[in-house]
Amino acid sequence: MRRFFYFRLALQNIRNNKKTYIPYILTVIGTVLMYYSFQCMADNPGIQDLRGGTVVAMIMGLGTFVIALFAVIFLFYTNSFLIKQRKKEFALFNILGMEKRHLGRILLWETLIVAAVGIAVGFGGGVLLTKLMYLFLLRLMDFPVQLGFYISFSALKSAVILFGLIFLFTWLNALRQIHLASPVQLLQQQKAGEQEPKTKLLMAILGVLCLGTGYYISITTESPITALTLFFAAVILVIIGTYLLFTAGSIAWLKFLRGRKRYYYKTRHFISVSGMLYRMKQNAVGLANICILSTMVLVMLSTTVALYAGSENMIHSRYPRELMVYANMVTESQADTYEEAVNQYLAENGLSAQNVISYREMYGAMVREGSNLRGPVGAQDMMVSAEAHFIRIDDFRQMTAGTLPEALKADQVFLLYRGNDIPGDTLGVSGLTFQIAGRMTFDEAGIDPAALTDSYNVADVYVILAADTGVLSQIETAVDQEIGVEDSIFYNCDPALDQLRYVYGFDLGDEAQVKAVQEQMSLLLTETGIPQGGIENRYDNTASYYEMNGGLLFLGVFLALLFVMAAVLIMYYKQISEGYDDRERYQIMQKVGLSRQEVRASIRSQVLSVFYLPLITAVIHVAFAFPIIVRLIALFNLNDVGLFLMTTVITVLVFAVLYAMVYAMTAKVYYRIVSE
Amino acid sequence: MALLEVSHLKKIYTTRLGGAKIQALKDVSFSVEAGEYVAIMGESGSGKTTLLNILAALDKPTVGEVLLEGRSIVALKEREISSFRRDNLGFVFQDFNLLDNFSVQDNIFLPLVLAGKSYEEMVKRITPLAHRLGIADILNKYPYEISGGQKQRTAAARALITAPRLLLADEPTGALDSRASEELLSLFADINREGQTILMVTHSIAAASHAGRVLFIKDGQVFHQLYRASLGREEMYQRISDTLTTIATGSGRRQA
Ligand SMILES: Nc1ncnc2c1ncn2[C@@H]1O[C@H](COP(=O)(O)OP(=O)(O)O)[C@@H](O)[C@H]1O
Ligand SMILES: [Mg+2]
Repeated sequence: MRRFFYFRLALQNIRNNKKTYIPYILTVIGTVLMYYSFQCMADNPGIQDLRGGTVVAMIMGLGTFVIALFAVIFLFYTNSFLIKQRKKEFALFNILGMEKRHLGRILLWETLIVAAVGIAVGFGGGVLLTKLMYLFLLRLMDFPVQLGFYISFSALKSAVILFGLIFLFTWLNALRQIHLASPVQLLQQQKAGEQEPKTKLLMAILGVLCLGTGYYISITTESPITALTLFFAAVILVIIGTYLLFTAGSIAWLKFLRGRKRYYYKTRHFISVSGMLYRMKQNAVGLANICILSTMVLVMLSTTVALYAGSENMIHSRYPRELMVYANMVTESQADTYEEAVNQYLAENGLSAQNVISYREMYGAMVREGSNLRGPVGAQDMMVSAEAHFIRIDDFRQMTAGTLPEALKADQVFLLYRGNDIPGDTLGVSGLTFQIAGRMTFDEAGIDPAALTDSYNVADVYVILAADTGVLSQIETAVDQEIGVEDSIFYNCDPALDQLRYVYGFDLGDEAQVKAVQEQMSLLLTETGIPQGGIENRYDNTASYYEMNGGLLFLGVFLALLFVMAAVLIMYYKQISEGYDDRERYQIMQKVGLSRQEVRASIRSQVLSVFYLPLITAVIHVAFAFPIIVRLIALFNLNDVGLFLMTTVITVLVFAVLYAMVYAMTAKVYYRIVSE
Repeated sequence: MALLEVSHLKKIYTTRLGGAKIQALKDVSFSVEAGEYVAIMGESGSGKTTLLNILAALDKPTVGEVLLEGRSIVALKEREISSFRRDNLGFVFQDFNLLDNFSVQDNIFLPLVLAGKSYEEMVKRITPLAHRLGIADILNKYPYEISGGQKQRTAAARALITAPRLLLADEPTGALDSRASEELLSLFADINREGQTILMVTHSIAAASHAGRVLFIKDGQVFHQLYRASLGREEMYQRISDTLTTIATGSGRRQA
C-alpha cells in the first residue's frame, strides 16, 4: 500500500510538472528510438548481406556511438535542469515532514515511470522507424525494396542497458542535489546566484583568439591532407571560442550598451539589456549550446547532401571514362598494337571508342620548392606533394585543345598545370635545369583533370612536356640519384627502354556492352605482352559510391534530427525557466506603469536579440568553415564547389525557417507564462 | 473639488474554482483633498488591498466610481491606463517591488524611462530626491546589496520621482524593523508637509498615527473615520487604538 502511495505521488508530480516533463519524456523517447534504430541497423543481418552492407553497418555503428554519447550528456543535462526547477517543490515536501529518503523514493518512482514510458514507446517507434529507415536506405543506395519487419532483441537489450544506466545516474545525481541542501537552501536556491556578472576581459580576448585561429585555419589551409589533420583542431578551437565569447563577449557587449546612456534609457532597451545582463551567465552557456548544435546540424546536412548529390561527379572523377586501362612498363609499339587490337575488336562488334584518352607518362609524387621539383624524402614530404607527369610532347598532342609548340629542344619543357604555377622561366628537377618554353593552365588547355590525375585532388598537378624519351630518362636518373634507386618514385617505368606508364580509356556509350568489352580487353592485354596492367569499369563501382554516400547522408539526416531535437528542447526549457523568472519582474513593471503593448514589445526585443544570436553565429561559423570543408570533400573526389555552395545555402535557409518557427512557438510559451 | 473622489465602490471576486463569489468591497465612499495624508486601517481581509488596487487602476470595481481631479479612473481605456498611472500616481509596496536586475538608480529611473524622459532630465530629478531620501550614496548598488529601510526609501524615490498627484502606499512599513519604519514614516510626514498628497494602507497604529486622517474599513465598508485636527501623535495613537478596540469588540454600530 505504501509503495502504491509513492507511485501515485510520483505520477502526480509528473502531471504537475507536465510543462517541463512532457518535453523531457519526448526527448527520452526520441533518443531511445534513434539509438535502437541505429543499433538495429548496425547489426541487422539483412543489411550486412547487402552489397556494400558492411560499410553501411559500420557507418551505423559510428552513429550508434554518437547517439549514445549524446544521450548520456543530454539526458543528464536536461534532468539536472528539471531537478533544479523543482527544488522549491522538494523543499516544500521536506518542510511538510517528508524525509529525504522518502523524497528519494518518490524520485525513484518518477525515474522509473519516465524510463518505462520512454523505453517502451521509443522501442515501439524504433521498430516502425527501422522499417522506414530500411526502405529509405535502400532507396538511397539504389537497391530494390524488400518487405517484412525486423525486431532486434540484441539492440533492445543494449538500449535497455544503456538507458537504464543513464537513468540510474540521473537519479543518483538528483539524490545528490537534494542531499546537499537544507530546505531553506532549497527554497532560496532558485533566487541565488543572480548577481550581476563581472566583465571578463581576458576570457573575451581568449575567445576572439580561439575563434580567429579556427577561422584562419579554415580559410588558409590549401592542401586537403593538411585540412584533414587541422579540421578537428579548428572545430575544437571554434567550439571553445564560441563558449568563451558567448560568456564573456555578451556580458562585455551588454555592459557597453548599458554605458551608452542615451541608448540604454529607452523603454525597450532598458528592460531588455538589463534583463539579458541579469542572467547572462546561465544564458550564455545555453545559447552557446544552441549555436554549436545548430552549426553541427548545418555542416552535417550540407556536407552529406552535397556528397550524395555529388556521387556522379565523384564517380566521374574517379572513373573519367567507362573503361580505363592503367598499365606499367609499356612501350610505344605495345601501346599502338594494343589500341589497334581493341579498335578492331570494337569494329567487329559494331562498337566504337569515344572520348578516347591515351598517353604514356613518367609519373610520381614530388615536392615543389620555388621553381624546383625534387623527390620526397621521409614522411613530412608526404604532406606537400605535387604531382608530376613527365610526358613526351608528341604523346600528348591529342590530349589537349591548346596549341603546343611544334618541337622542343632537349633543355626545354612545356608546362601544363593545375593549382600553383611555377615561378620564373626555368624549372629545376633534382639538379637539372630546363627552360620553360611556354605554359598553360588545365583550363586554358582544355584538359579534363580527371583524365590525368590519379590523385585525390590533394596536390598541385604539373604536366611537364619534354622533347623525347631521352629527356625523361635523364630526369629519372637525376631523381633516383637524389633519393636512391630503392626508393624510386618512378618504379612503374623505365624510360631508357621506352617503357612508360600507360593510360588508355574511352566511353562506349552502351552500358550493356561494357562488361564483355572489358573481358576481351583484358585478354588482349596479355596477348600484347603487357603484364602489369588492369582494366577498370566504371559501373562495377558505381554502387559502392551510392552505398557510401547514401549511408553518410542517412547518418547526417538522422543525427541532424537528433541535434535539432536537442536544440529545440534547450530553447524551450530556456524560455520556460526564464518566463517564470521574469514573470514577477514584468508584474512589478506593470505596476509602475508598463503597458501590455510595451511588455510585448520588450519581450520581442529581448527574445529576438538573444534568440537569433546563436543562429547568426552558427551561420557565420558555417561560412568560415566552408573553405576547409571544400578541401575535405575534395578528398572524397568531390570537386563541385558550386553544388556544395548550393546545398549549404539551401540547408541554411531551411534551417533558419525552422528556427524561426521554433522561436515563435517558444516565445509564445514565454509570453503566456509572463502574462499569466 | 476634491483631489480624489471615491463613491459607492463595490468589488465582487469570482473564484476560478467553482465560481463562488467573494465580496471584498461592499460600498465604499470617501474623498481626499489635495495635500492630505490619509491612512486606511482595517483587519486582514477587510478589503484594503482591493481598494488600493482599484485606486491604482490595477483593478476595476464591480460597481462605483473613482475620480482623480475630476477624471474617471474606472472609465480609462486599457491603453491609457499605463500612462495615466505613470503620470499621476506613485506607489510604495509592502514588499518593495524593486527589480534585482536594476541598480538603485535605474530602479528609480524606471517610471521616467517608461515615460520617455531624457537621461539629462532624469539626472536632474534624481539628485535632490536622493539627497532628500538619504540614498545618494547607494545609487550604484543593487537591491540585494542594501538594507530593508534603504530598499523602501528607494521604492519611495521611485514613486516620487514622477511628482505624482497622489502617493499610494500599501503597508509600506510591513516588512521593516521599527527603526526603519520610524524613519520612513517621518519621511512621509515631511513630504506631506511639503504638499504631497498621500494615501496609505496600514496595519500599524504607529504608522497611522502620523496621518492627518484615518479611515477604518470593516466588512467592505468605511466603518469610521478619525481626524487628527490638532491632536498630538500620542493622543492620535490612543484614539486609533480605542477605535480598533471598539471595532474588534464588535459593537456593530456604524459611526459617521
Ligand atoms: N483575486 C482575488 N480573487 C478572489 N478573492 C480575492 C482576491 N483578492 C482578494 N480576495 C478576497 O477579497 C477579500 C479582501 O482581500 P484584500 O483586499 O486583500 O484584504 P486586505 O488587504 O485588507 O487584507 C479577502 O477575503 C480576499 O480573500
Ligand atoms: Mg493587503
